[in-house]
Amino acid sequence: MSTGIDASSSAAGRPTGGLAADPPRRWPAFLRAPGGAAGATMILIVVLLGVFAPLLAPYGPAEQIPNANLLPPSSAHWLGTDEVNRDIFSRLLFGIRVDLMVVFIAVPFGALIGTVIGLVSTMYAFADVIAQRVFDVILAFPVLILAIGVTAAAGPGVTTIIAVIVLAEIPVFGRLARTSLLTVRAMPYVESSQVIGAGNTWLLRKHLLPNSLEPLVVQFGVSMSIAVFIEGAMSFLGLGVRPPQPSLGSLTRDGIRNVWESPAFVVGPLIIVTLLVLGFLLVSQAISATRRV
Amino acid sequence: MTSYLLRRVPSAILVLLFASMAIFAVIRLVPGDPATILAGQDASPEALASIRADLGLDQPVLTQYLTWLAGMIRLDPGKSYMIGGDIGGLVRAGLLNTVVLTATALLFAVVLAGLAAIGSVLANRRWLDSVLAGANTLAVALPTFVTGVLFVVVFAVILPILPAGGTPPDGFFSRPGIAFQYLVLPALCLALPSAAALARFLTASLQTELGKPYVTTAQALGIRRRRIVLTQALPNALPATVTVLGLQVGALLGGAVLVEAIFAWPGLGLLIERAISDRDYPLVQALLLLSVLVFVVTQLLTDIVNAVLDPRIRLGGAS
Repeated sequence: MSTGIDASSSAAGRPTGGLAADPPRRWPAFLRAPGGAAGATMILIVVLLGVFAPLLAPYGPAEQIPNANLLPPSSAHWLGTDEVNRDIFSRLLFGIRVDLMVVFIAVPFGALIGTVIGLVSTMYAFADVIAQRVFDVILAFPVLILAIGVTAAAGPGVTTIIAVIVLAEIPVFGRLARTSLLTVRAMPYVESSQVIGAGNTWLLRKHLLPNSLEPLVVQFGVSMSIAVFIEGAMSFLGLGVRPPQPSLGSLTRDGIRNVWESPAFVVGPLIIVTLLVLGFLLVSQAISATRRV
Repeated sequence: MTSYLLRRVPSAILVLLFASMAIFAVIRLVPGDPATILAGQDASPEALASIRADLGLDQPVLTQYLTWLAGMIRLDPGKSYMIGGDIGGLVRAGLLNTVVLTATALLFAVVLAGLAAIGSVLANRRWLDSVLAGANTLAVALPTFVTGVLFVVVFAVILPILPAGGTPPDGFFSRPGIAFQYLVLPALCLALPSAAALARFLTASLQTELGKPYVTTAQALGIRRRRIVLTQALPNALPATVTVLGLQVGALLGGAVLVEAIFAWPGLGLLIERAISDRDYPLVQALLLLSVLVFVVTQLLTDIVNAVLDPRIRLGGAS
């Protein structure tokens, strides 16, 4: 959506062809805002570290190294070693993978289900009543309390984290898609199209969907940031990944448990979590800022 | 006002009722028989049967739900399986600590947000706005467990000036100075995300108010900017901010679980964490329902306060 706006505005701004083809023109608008570029870079760094973890990590995530108990950072162990002789840097790289999986599977899944429910509920009054009541009940649980409830029933694990995020995102996207579609439907240009004889399908495809899905893109970034928080918080509380699997949250927990013996332990996980949540938030702020201009 | 209450209160009760069903149903889905968990794998069938009768597990599910709900309403949530003792007593033991922590955090959030928003509007300096916007983004983005751990590392381990956790040994009220030292890190850590959300909202509503015609009139009359902001714009910006404050209570409830875990603060958050790891389901159920109750009631109160402040809401349509 943002790329569409960008393409049309630049096409209108100057004629295409010839020598005018400068590369930044093809970048989406939000990347040209300083916050957006910084955010995208942060996410990219973490994603690359996670994707190439098996190549970059000097040790396995659960590999125990003889005579390396709670070592401070050194050239052999960049972030030191933990209380059961594992290399923290390697565990951190593999821990990123859990978060990437959780974020890039759960958020799109929850967003898709929520959006579809939201759009359907604008068409049928009965579906709307049911959906709104169900959303009310889910939203009556603060997100971490919801996580505790789901974990009490399903037990800790990566699937539970994904379930919590999907469940938490459905009402958010459901409500947003619904209000956004209703707002767009009341716009004068939609009425004008109807007056000059536009069909329903054409209206939906050409006007309603593209314009009502725009706010969802901004929410998507915020939700990614919240998903990293949910994974971290759940694993930090022992409701998330099961040991010995590392994740950003479980590494923070291990770090704070050993903070008196090895204060440097917790630095790595904190930096990566910060890069990830801040990155998603900056990108979504940049998208929403460029949308309004 | 009565008709507004008649619309709003039943819908809140309905949400609570459905939430209580969800909590009860979800905990019933847990694999494994509570009687076996309680008595151990090799208990005799007679012992299991007597435990089941004792817990009411031999009754139909609907009866069990109604008994449980009636107990919760009578403030008699029953006995915990594992930690032992009466759930009411366990909750009362942790309640004061959690209430003091969240109330202090709420106070910090309001003060910080008020200072940031009014300061930014009064100073009207671009550099200050940039600094505040940056701080705001950081406070929103950084998860509570990150700021909490950072606080412990910086203020308790590297510069040992504040306690790393626990509650004040002499209670909160006999020696307030000591109590404050114990409270400041956890409460600040809990307050930051809410402070940021409030500050952002209050700044935006103050700026909207300052663009309105009555402000222009006041300026034309020669009233000072400070006085316009404090006596005219601020009162008008407050009602909408109350709604945001009400929503923040949900964030504080969830955040309290994390903060209590980081700072070893013996409140309801630590209790629920222990209840989960001990698989103490009656205790989990009771605490889940309690937090939903607090959240829903706060939102109801927020709406009522808004309706009192703004006649358009209470006289509005049936939606």
